[in-house]
Amino acid sequence: MDIDDLLAEVSVDSISQETRDLQELTRSWVAERVAPEILPWPSDLMERVLDRIRRQIELVEDQTGNMDPKTNFKLIVIQTELERFKFLVRSFLRARLKKIDAHPLHILARHAASATDLLPLLSPAEHQYLTSHQALLTSHYASSFLSQFPASLQRMDDTTGGISMVDKPDEDAAVFVRVLRDVGEVAVEGTDKRLEMKRGDVWVVRWSTMRGWVASGDLELI
Amino acid sequence: MALPLPPGLTPPEIAFICEMELVTIIPRQRLEGLELLGGPLKPLNPPQRASIPLWLALLLKRQRRANIVPPPWLSPDSLSAILKYETEIDAFSPPPRLPPLPSGTSLVFSPPFLPGSTADATADALPYHWLELGSMLLEAAPEDFDDANEVRKLLRGLREARMAKLRQGVEVLDAGGGVKMNGVGGMEVGEARTFITGVVDGLRKIGKSREEARKERDRENGYSPSQDFDDDEMDMR
Repeated sequence: MDIDDLLAEVSVDSISQETRDLQELTRSWVAERVAPEILPWPSDLMERVLDRIRRQIELVEDQTGNMDPKTNFKLIVIQTELERFKFLVRSFLRARLKKIDAHPLHILARHAASATDLLPLLSPAEHQYLTSHQALLTSHYASSFLSQFPASLQRMDDTTGGISMVDKPDEDAAVFVRVLRDVGEVAVEGTDKRLEMKRGDVWVVRWSTMRGWVASGDLELI
Repeated sequence: MALPLPPGLTPPEIAFICEMELVTIIPRQRLEGLELLGGPLKPLNPPQRASIPLWLALLLKRQRRANIVPPPWLSPDSLSAILKYETEIDAFSPPPRLPPLPSGTSLVFSPPFLPGSTADATADALPYHWLELGSMLLEAAPEDFDDANEVRKLLRGLREARMAKLRQGVEVLDAGGGVKMNGVGGMEVGEARTFITGVVDGLRKIGKSREEARKERDRENGYSPSQDFDDDEMDMR
């Protein structure tokens, strides 16, 4: 825990870290389900959440078999909540996997560019999945048909003629956002639109215009 | 493995989020405090009221271990006042007032983690998950309402009035997006998402070449949106 976390805890001391993590996890999940491109992996948050889930599963394993009806009901509550958390985490990971599968080369390039950032794009496990899956695909393509082509046509990431072969998501896609902190006037590039974004507003706007503020926590996707 | 669903939230997923809303219950049985993953649960001592997440309230209700206190806005009086507003005025009725902003860069809470549906929520505004929460409570705990049928009828009226507005709002859509929809509800966003984003994206693709030309002209005139964003960042600090 660093000093920022400590300060944050003092200011909203009535709300537990667990509840704050649930808010953050829910927000990340919704964002990942809605945003057209993959978002940076929230490593600290996921570490805390997964660790808690692991401990809760151990608790359930310890206490099943206890036939006391009171403990039994407590276990039902704990297990119901556990399942809800597992659903959240699973759906979050699967939404990310879908994007990784859809645009592997684009995401690989972006991950490499973000490797030195505070928050890399992919988790180590996702990166491993992406690279080994790509390696398998590449060798399969090469052995089944690519090797029959002339050498100049064998590349999978050709950019000749000004058109890149690497597919990428539509970053200008429209999304629904809620304003969490006043942002001020926002200009949509290429149009006359000037939006005055105030706390509590809900807007339909282009993802590419919004992503900076979503990353800083001033906006959230809904 | 990968999620087969298109972008956007499905109705069950929206209901899942709504189940995290806090509601007020009157427990009928004692329950010891629990360390849950989403934060500690205080001990339940009948007949003391307590605010707990909706999923737990529904579980306790189903086992007849608690009664649910419907939020103040979910009463015939409040709903008819809001319905009157919705039918007379062109915009959605305003959402509940927000709590003060936490200082600095700490986490800002938003629905379903704002207490918009507890017994001491405001009576004159619909919270974000109004439709989902209302229907779930009416289904699971109709006997906890004074007049469940009237509430049901008013909810349906509200839903129709608001859907009509949502459909009318399509006329203002254009390629740049930038449509303000304050007061919209969670399920309404879910329903309208595919259509609205489809229209905005479609119009943008049609006008793409004109927009590209304009972007180039703007850049030549020394305007750059990335610079613009950096400036804003500086202002905030």
